[in-house]
Amino acid sequence: MIDFELGDELELVRKTARDYADDHLRPGMRENESARSLGAKAWELFGEIGFACLEWPERGEAGGLGALAHSLVLEELAAADPGAALALEPLGAALYPLLEFGGEEAVLRYGEPLLTSPGARSVLVWVGAGGRASLADQGKRVSGSVPWIPADRVDSLILLDETRARVVRGGLEFRRVRGSGLRAAGASEVIFEGAEVVAEWEGEDEARRALARARLHTASLMLGVMREACDYSRNYALDRVAFGRPIAHHQALAFLIADMATALESARLLAWEAAWRLDTGLRADEACATAFLEAAEQTAFIGPNGVQILGGHGFMQDHPVEKFMREGRSLSLLLGGVDTARECAMRELAGTAGDVLLPLGDLS
Amino acid sequence: MNLFIDDETRARLEGIRALGASEIRPLGLEADRLGRPTPPEHPFFERLVKGGQGRTRWSGAPEASAPGERRSKVGSSRSTLCLAEEMAYWDRGVAVSFPGPGLGEPPLISMGTEDQKQRFLAPFIEPDRPRWGSFAMTEPGAGSDVAGIQASAQKEGGNWILNGAKSFAANASRADWIVVWATVDSSLGREGHRAFVVEKGTPGLEDFQVERKMGLKAYESTSFRLNDCRVPAANLIGGEEHYARKAGFKGAMRSFNATRPLVAIMAVGIGRAALDATTDFARENDLLCDIRVRDRLERARRKLRSARLLCWRAAWLADYGRPNILEASMSKAAAPTAALEAASLGMEVIGTVGGRGDHLIEKLFRDVKAMDIVEGTGQVQRLVMARQLVQFPRN
Ligand SMILES: Cc1cc2nc3c(=O)[nH]c(=O)nc-3n(C[C@H](O)[C@H](O)[C@H](O)COP(=O)(O)OP(=O)(O)OC[C@H]3O[C@@H](n4cnc5c(N)ncnc54)[C@H](O)[C@@H]3O)c2cc1C
Repeated sequence: MIDFELGDELELVRKTARDYADDHLRPGMRENESARSLGAKAWELFGEIGFACLEWPERGEAGGLGALAHSLVLEELAAADPGAALALEPLGAALYPLLEFGGEEAVLRYGEPLLTSPGARSVLVWVGAGGRASLADQGKRVSGSVPWIPADRVDSLILLDETRARVVRGGLEFRRVRGSGLRAAGASEVIFEGAEVVAEWEGEDEARRALARARLHTASLMLGVMREACDYSRNYALDRVAFGRPIAHHQALAFLIADMATALESARLLAWEAAWRLDTGLRADEACATAFLEAAEQTAFIGPNGVQILGGHGFMQDHPVEKFMREGRSLSLLLGGVDTARECAMRELAGTAGDVLLPLGDLS
Repeated sequence: MNLFIDDETRARLEGIRALGASEIRPLGLEADRLGRPTPPEHPFFERLVKGGQGRTRWSGAPEASAPGERRSKVGSSRSTLCLAEEMAYWDRGVAVSFPGPGLGEPPLISMGTEDQKQRFLAPFIEPDRPRWGSFAMTEPGAGSDVAGIQASAQKEGGNWILNGAKSFAANASRADWIVVWATVDSSLGREGHRAFVVEKGTPGLEDFQVERKMGLKAYESTSFRLNDCRVPAANLIGGEEHYARKAGFKGAMRSFNATRPLVAIMAVGIGRAALDATTDFARENDLLCDIRVRDRLERARRKLRSARLLCWRAAWLADYGRPNILEASMSKAAAPTAALEAASLGMEVIGTVGGRGDHLIEKLFRDVKAMDIVEGTGQVQRLVMARQLVQFPRN
């Protein structure tokens, strides 16, 4: 029966991630942003805890955890610094195309070498509809450009579109851009100069599933950003006094704070539903797209309102709320953004007879 | 984490679905067309009672009311929520018109003495005919501000004398009894509140006025007056000791709340009905290829889904006796808005067909608005949340 209990194991995973983020990410948030990188200690510990390959196929002590566990961890990391969360995971969402198309073998081939050198990353780039990439194929080579990826250098790029995944190495130029957000992970325009495709797989189903899982990954990061924006602005509103009382005790702000809390919770529950579906082996494409959309929409609500609650102070970089606003928005631009996700969330619609909102009895 | 619905609940959902299509929805449309509540002598109610509906949750055994014990799996809030959503899907107005002790039951179960449960709930264990209970808190001058009720209760020998006016109480004129809230001293606020069972036919219980509503016409919302209405002391719910312990209002306001998510999920049911009807219309009229229409359907569906999850989670917390005040209010704030959005979108999609005033979506659009008003308005839910989140002061 319906049950939202996470259980001891997941609670422990979540707490471990929270402690790690509190101790090693949040304090250095602004320095990491300007350095476009993290300190070595943070990397080292991240790998030691086993977070670097959390959702990978089980390998000894590490790996083998599910989508829900990963979502919880990503929320915690992003609550401290979403750019750092991207920087820290060697594969990040690139795990999913590797896993869906190439299986464990591909994950080991392209992922394993990254584990031993701090900062090494493979990055997923969505080059299908809505990705704003302009790429042309020339046999086994690709030329063109991608306007922005949150990275300064990569070991390889995994290009994903509606029907295939390709691993690209060499022949890539990274032009540094300032980046609207997520700078701890870097920010570049990527120029492909006959870049070499070292592996290529085809398959619509695999592509769909890989994209779905990547969407949940990004949605989970947005949850962290939203949570921190909610908490920070709420605490500020309790301290700041105007017209004789804490601004949180003016109803306009009290109601806004309540609505922000509800928005976060709505997004989180849809993400958990999607994760649960993945972990249970149910069809999850549409649920993942829905989770992504809700997270994107609520981030766009919470981010700017987080700034608003701090007034002029919120606009200044002495407080992190302006960062949350930028970074939440940036995350929602990845993977084809909201319009592509909307298309996916409604893909089945034309075919279903009645009961558009999954009927209760047939939730599976 | 698990979002499967158990087999037993599923089986009951099937039952409601069948009854919904064959009887509940047609009856709701009929009441809406005729502009009157389904009369109490309608054979539908008789059939329901014969079919096992209209009963109390109270088992009749004294232990059953001991805290923590009545939370069996089948009777869980989550299961109740699933069934309520399905009922509301077919017609929320008809669902409220179902015989049974209604909103009067929770205060009797949580605060009532054994004798009171026997007298007022036992007839609902195996009802011989359709019977209703009712609940009257709201007054012409006090709705959200519950502490401001003015109906007065004065002790006179072995009786209480009630005076005042009550508004919008569901099923009041057909009820065997009404749980009426009154105050012994309006300057005491909630501490002065007392709940009485006022039985049908009690002299001074009068001036029943069935209100004309925008929607949800299938059940009666009734206003009435108490004119020197004499109620035996034995009808003070919980007896005087209960209020001496200052438990009066808190009896209704625990740290967990099961009715807000329940009302909220009914909004989800109405919204789902609107969304299904809208999608059917869009499909039949080749509108699904229109991206503008599709995008808005997507959003309406997403909002209903997240609202449903909010309701489920609040109910799950209640089932385990965990604090859920914040979560319950979240669900109640979010669901009616999501449902109204779905119905309102439906009106846009069907266009002038909705303007005719005889389409299901048009009815749902009118019905659903009440959901943001009853059981604490949207604003009141935000007040409750703000008290939890930022210790928003009560005054
Ligand atoms: C269909 C229907 C069925 C009902 N059934 C029953 C029933 O069975 N039994 C029963 O007792 N009652 C019933 N009610 C009454 C219902 O509970 C009240 O209507 C509700 O509590 C609101 O009270 P009110 O109508 O007096 O509005 P008011 O309290 O006057 O509110 C007016 C507006 O002011 C807002 N407001 C009030 N206080 C604040 C504040 N502090 N901050 C910000 N905004 C505020 C409200 O949200 C609302 O928008 C029913 C109502 C309806 C519509």
